Amino acid sequence: MNTAAHAVTIVMIEDDEGHARLIEKNLKRAGLFNEVRHFASGTAALHHLLGPGRKQHRPLLVLLDLNLPDMSGTEILTQLKDDPELRLAPVIVLTTTDDEREIRRCYDLGCNVYITKPVNYETFAQAVRQLGLFLAVIQVPPAP
Amino acid sequence: MPLNKAVFGRAMLLLTAVGFAALLGLGAGLVWLVDEARGYATGVAATQEVRVKLSQALSLLQDAETGQRGYLLTGQEQYLGPYQDATTALPKVLPLLAEQVIRDGGRPGPVQALQDLAERKLAELRETLALAEAGDREAAINRVRRGEGKEVMDSIRETLAGIESRSTTRLAERSQGLHRSSRALLLGAAGALGLVAIVAVGSAGLAFRYAGDLERARLEVEAANAGLEERVAERTALLQAANEEVQRFAYIVSHDLRAPLVNVMGFTAELEVAVAALDALLREAEAEAPHLVTDAAREAVTADIPEAIGFIRSSTERMDRLISAILRLSREGRRALAPEPVAMGALIAGIADSLRHQLAEAGAELTIEGSLPDIVTDRTALEQIFGNLIDNAVKYLDPARPGRITVTGRAARGLASFDVADNGRGIAPRDHGRIFELFRRSGAQDRPGEGIGLAHVRALARRLGGNVECDSTPGQGSVFRVTLPLAPLPSFGENTA
Repeated sequence: MNTAAHAVTIVMIEDDEGHARLIEKNLKRAGLFNEVRHFASGTAALHHLLGPGRKQHRPLLVLLDLNLPDMSGTEILTQLKDDPELRLAPVIVLTTTDDEREIRRCYDLGCNVYITKPVNYETFAQAVRQLGLFLAVIQVPPAP
Repeated sequence: MPLNKAVFGRAMLLLTAVGFAALLGLGAGLVWLVDEARGYATGVAATQEVRVKLSQALSLLQDAETGQRGYLLTGQEQYLGPYQDATTALPKVLPLLAEQVIRDGGRPGPVQALQDLAERKLAELRETLALAEAGDREAAINRVRRGEGKEVMDSIRETLAGIESRSTTRLAERSQGLHRSSRALLLGAAGALGLVAIVAVGSAGLAFRYAGDLERARLEVEAANAGLEERVAERTALLQAANEEVQRFAYIVSHDLRAPLVNVMGFTAELEVAVAALDALLREAEAEAPHLVTDAAREAVTADIPEAIGFIRSSTERMDRLISAILRLSREGRRALAPEPVAMGALIAGIADSLRHQLAEAGAELTIEGSLPDIVTDRTALEQIFGNLIDNAVKYLDPARPGRITVTGRAARGLASFDVADNGRGIAPRDHGRIFELFRRSGAQDRPGEGIGLAHVRALARRLGGNVECDSTPGQGSVFRVTLPLAPLPSFGENTA
């Protein structure tokens, strides 16, 4: 595991507390002990990421749920990709839908990985663990 | 009263007939009048002739008398010239006069009287002249003096005047008659022309009204058509909106149902992990301190909790399959259809090929009887429709006999219909409609399935502008008939699911 990956803060935008908990547990099981900041609404997440108190020059990874009560995940994705600094942060979309159009739309908007939340728990856990491995090997771009 | 075509035709015919009759009458009247005028002209000529002949006769008789008087006075032969001329001319003139009077319409009586009188006069003249020639001039003059000749001459004048006056009267009568007829004809002609004018105006009015009625009717029809199209468009739009709403609803619901399911499954797995830890603890306790382990605790960890987890898991998996099915149906309903010519024989053969393994396993055989009509529609939808139907036929065969699945098709009146018939277990009549409903299944539940296939088939068939029906006898087999338009309808691809 490289050190750059350890420094990465994971921002999880997920309204379902259960999902958030399961993702955290499985990330830990995969051996990922990065700081995870959880936001249950798009507004809170955007305030943290883009608001006045945002922390500069810090490597980030965003886990994004598409079905949020206050705004759509694609809206958040668009805003992240419009920001000159944050657009470099990898975005992993986690959602219940496997609709091809929606997946293509997310990739068009600049999402890096798209993961369907399967109901079959083994698959899900495996997906999250693979994500952990993925995070361990990717080179998160250093802040400019 | 609004004019219909038949009434208009009859009225026009009647008016034309009336106008024609008036014109015919007018023509006949003219012919009659010309004839009358000719008769009148003949009458005028005849009267004139009678007059001429009358004055000729009178002048001849006077000439004869003048000759006689001259001879008696002078005794000279030369005075007898007029007498002799008159006596030769009169026998010719008098019959002509008689003829003329008859032709003029007069009575023969007076002319006969005239002839008698003329003869008497001529006889008197002859006698006096004979006396004079014999030298007895005295006796001849005495005879004249007796006035017998003068009396006869006066009678002649009277008779002539009578004939002339009667001829004149006849002429006047004729003239009056002609005047009356021409006046009558004039009135008749005026009447006929008036009638023709009325007919012309009437038929023009009728035609105008009829044309007006036609135009109004056309406008009404047009307005009704426009209204109809508008209403159809409105309804279609409403239906489409409602369908889209249903699709969106199904989509959202299935998404939102899935989210809690992920939790149920996830935490069930967490429970399993926890139970595994407990199980390990239990084994350790049993080995090291068996008195701590109660039967209830052992039962809970080794049997009850795993069983509960098993039920939770199978139920959530089933629920997930149902939600996935709804999602698939909803997505299928929103898929854009692309009509293209489809060779049905090849399509069915392709499906049979992909099911070869299942067919062989079931010991069944699929045949296409005759040629199937080709249609223009969405190929993928067709593949799904027939794939589902044939798959069902293979799935629900009767193990008691070798499976026979036949596909037939025919085209009529712009529609193609295809029958997928099997000799399988069949479907109870009360389920013939129900099997097309979502999550509904019929008969023994011994085959895997969620009750989605036929609902999907019906939704697709309706979306393609057709339908699917079932006819089946339990224990003998089933026939599924798919009816589809040969070519896409204007509303092709709208959501009707």
